[in-house]
Amino acid sequence: MSLFRGRAHGATGESPVRTYHVSKSYIAGTYALHDVTLEVGKGEFVFLTGPSGAGKTTLLKLLFAAQKPSEGQILVLGRNIARLRESAIPPLRRRIGVVFQDFKLLNRRTVEENVCMALDVVGTPRREARARVFALLKQVGLQNRRFHHPMSLSGGEQQRLAIARALVNEPALLLADEPTGNLDPDLTLEIMDLIAGAATRGTTVIVATHDMSLVERYGKRVVHLEGGRIQSEGSEGRWR
Amino acid sequence: MSRVLCVAGILLRTAARGLQGSLATSVVAILTITVALVLVGAFGLLVGNMQGLLDRFGEQVQITVFLETDLSPKAQEQLRVRVEAIEGVESAALVSRELALERFRQSAGGAALVEGLEENPLPASIEIALTRDHREPAEISSVANSVAVLPGVEELSHGQEWVEAYSRAASLVRTAALTIGGVLGLAALLIVANTIRLALYAREDELEILALVGASRSFIRIPFLLEGTAQGALGGAAAVGLLYAGFSLFLPQVQYGLALFIGNASPRFFAVLEAGGLIAAGAGLGMLGSALALVGRRA
Repeated sequence: MSLFRGRAHGATGESPVRTYHVSKSYIAGTYALHDVTLEVGKGEFVFLTGPSGAGKTTLLKLLFAAQKPSEGQILVLGRNIARLRESAIPPLRRRIGVVFQDFKLLNRRTVEENVCMALDVVGTPRREARARVFALLKQVGLQNRRFHHPMSLSGGEQQRLAIARALVNEPALLLADEPTGNLDPDLTLEIMDLIAGAATRGTTVIVATHDMSLVERYGKRVVHLEGGRIQSEGSEGRWR
Repeated sequence: MSRVLCVAGILLRTAARGLQGSLATSVVAILTITVALVLVGAFGLLVGNMQGLLDRFGEQVQITVFLETDLSPKAQEQLRVRVEAIEGVESAALVSRELALERFRQSAGGAALVEGLEENPLPASIEIALTRDHREPAEISSVANSVAVLPGVEELSHGQEWVEAYSRAASLVRTAALTIGGVLGLAALLIVANTIRLALYAREDELEILALVGASRSFIRIPFLLEGTAQGALGGAAAVGLLYAGFSLFLPQVQYGLALFIGNASPRFFAVLEAGGLIAAGAGLGMLGSALALVGRRA
């Protein structure tokens, strides 16, 4: 039996995400995540599905080192999250893009400044940063809104902005937690196309969602969680 | 080097944007620092002027040496020279019998008393002014003892009670300055730290996003420290301005009453360096307040 159940889905020895018997417990005796072993290969697109409370968000939080696992080991971009020192977290996060359902944008700053924040933390010179932000905003269709504030944008535009911020540093890993949860169907597809586009350019993408129609439409690898455990895995509608 | 400059520029821009972006909380922090420093500064002005006043009183601390009546003017001068050579004596001035009588005549009611006198009853004297470091009771006694044994000296007067009262007052002002100044400074620091901590809560979302995009601990903290320093310096400058306005506006109104206590000596405002010191203290207070507000926060 393979240690990593997902190995058949294009995973390699240098897989950006590998979890090994990972559990997370907030209250003694109860698990938000239980014995999760998973491997996601470079450039792979994976849906994490499951009902509310299944452990999707907890798994994403562990992957971007917002929390540490209670048991097991997690390797993200070659770093062991369980043993990561606090000072090693920022350099890791610079290589991970994160998108949330509630966007997490700063309304005090303009669209351009919101994206620039991610470039500022890596010390990108101002001129270069503005050029890169403009190119990316153009890619997500917000170049004419760059001096606006997020509050004046529609929900779809706000999520596109959040995606631009997540992608501006060309991350090796993109994590999205219910990125279309607040959006209507047309906007959902628009956002998912942007995220899927990142995978085609070599970024490993993990999207947590409970929207099964989305999963079926894109036909990517699916990891289904329930009660904190992996219940099934499959792709393009084929389950095992 | 260029990368360091680039990062420094980003940090400064972030701090400036922080000040602009949260104008209301920045203004509250600046006002808090201003009020705290006005209190500290007003107390500093009071202590500085009291100390100046005491120094001026100290200059009046002197020993009067009354001379034997049969001492010739030449012997009086020789004695004066010997007195002036004693350690702790800044100057020794001879007051002849005639000058002493003239001074007495000019003093209140003196003219009437002098009238009708057949001969001058006043002795010649030497008035000794003491150096600044010999104005404490023990040093004065030491100088007095050295003078008393000189031939030709009849009697000494050095106002022991006045000297001791002066010494006690000077010591009290110094102790009060240190104690009250320390308490005011600490209170100011805690108030500023608390205000900045509240300002920080208002920007919790920004800290969260910065951490999310991989900002290091220093990258998150330095702009806040810079903001605190700038707020502190602005508060310090405002405090200096307010104190100066208060000093200029209210002093003329109380000058007459003050004259009863301090004579013609006029109170002075801070020198440029002292005012700069208050602004620097504000900057330090703001930076320390920000550092205290950030204590215990995880990146």
